[in-house]
Amino acid sequence: MSPSEQSVVWVRDILLATFPDNPTDKTIERLQEAVLDAMTGRQPTGVILDLSGVETVDSFFARMIAETAQMIDLMGAETIVVGIRPPVAMTAAELGYDLGDVRKARNTDHALDLLGVSNVERDV
Amino acid sequence: MTTETGTLAIDSEDDILVARQRAREIAEELGFRRTDVTRIVTAVSELSRNIYLYAGEGEMRWRALERHGQPGLELQFVDEGPGIENVEAVLAGEHSTSEGMGRGVTGTKQLVDEIEIDTELGEGTTVTIIKWAT
Repeated sequence: MSPSEQSVVWVRDILLATFPDNPTDKTIERLQEAVLDAMTGRQPTGVILDLSGVETVDSFFARMIAETAQMIDLMGAETIVVGIRPPVAMTAAELGYDLGDVRKARNTDHALDLLGVSNVERDV
Repeated sequence: MTTETGTLAIDSEDDILVARQRAREIAEELGFRRTDVTRIVTAVSELSRNIYLYAGEGEMRWRALERHGQPGLELQFVDEGPGIENVEAVLAGEHSTSEGMGRGVTGTKQLVDEIEIDTELGEGTTVTIIKWAT
């Protein structure tokens, strides 16, 4: 995904926001806006922030994630952050980033499980 | 691109991204392992953003180092901005606000082996960091 690309899509009642691999500050701000815009017309039960493509999380990015999760919480939905890569986890821990009470999951499937979205295919 | 030494202008928000990409290329080329590359890139992100936010423009300079056969990387972030008033407090993490200069510098200190801040009010700031490969 190119740095300017971002995506916010619905998966049933879940909003899935995917961060590009090397976002500018503006891209991160735009993605936050896109999530909030999407929630204007329709209320999700949960919002998944997918960081699996992200290689670096600095203090600005970390603060934006925490802030976005707080806004989502104020609107009554739950945020789950997925796909934090090992180097990102390492620097985030070393820097003492506080993502607040945001839940984390290994990947999107795990997050959907946590949000109670069952996999129809699997039940067959 | 030269890995050994070079300069990159930072005068827009997008240059923070360019600085990160350049630093990643250099660090990978020098043979840093992946976690150290991420540490370097994260530090570069913080310090180049500080230039953009507080000085408006400046530059990143890099220089490949060697010590006992191990590669190292020195990065300098140079601006002619307002300077930092209380450097000791910033380095000690006492000057940390949620958005301020402090947070970026305090964090950077955790990620690199050496950090030095040379600043004069009204004249500018040079932050020098060094990371050695392990």
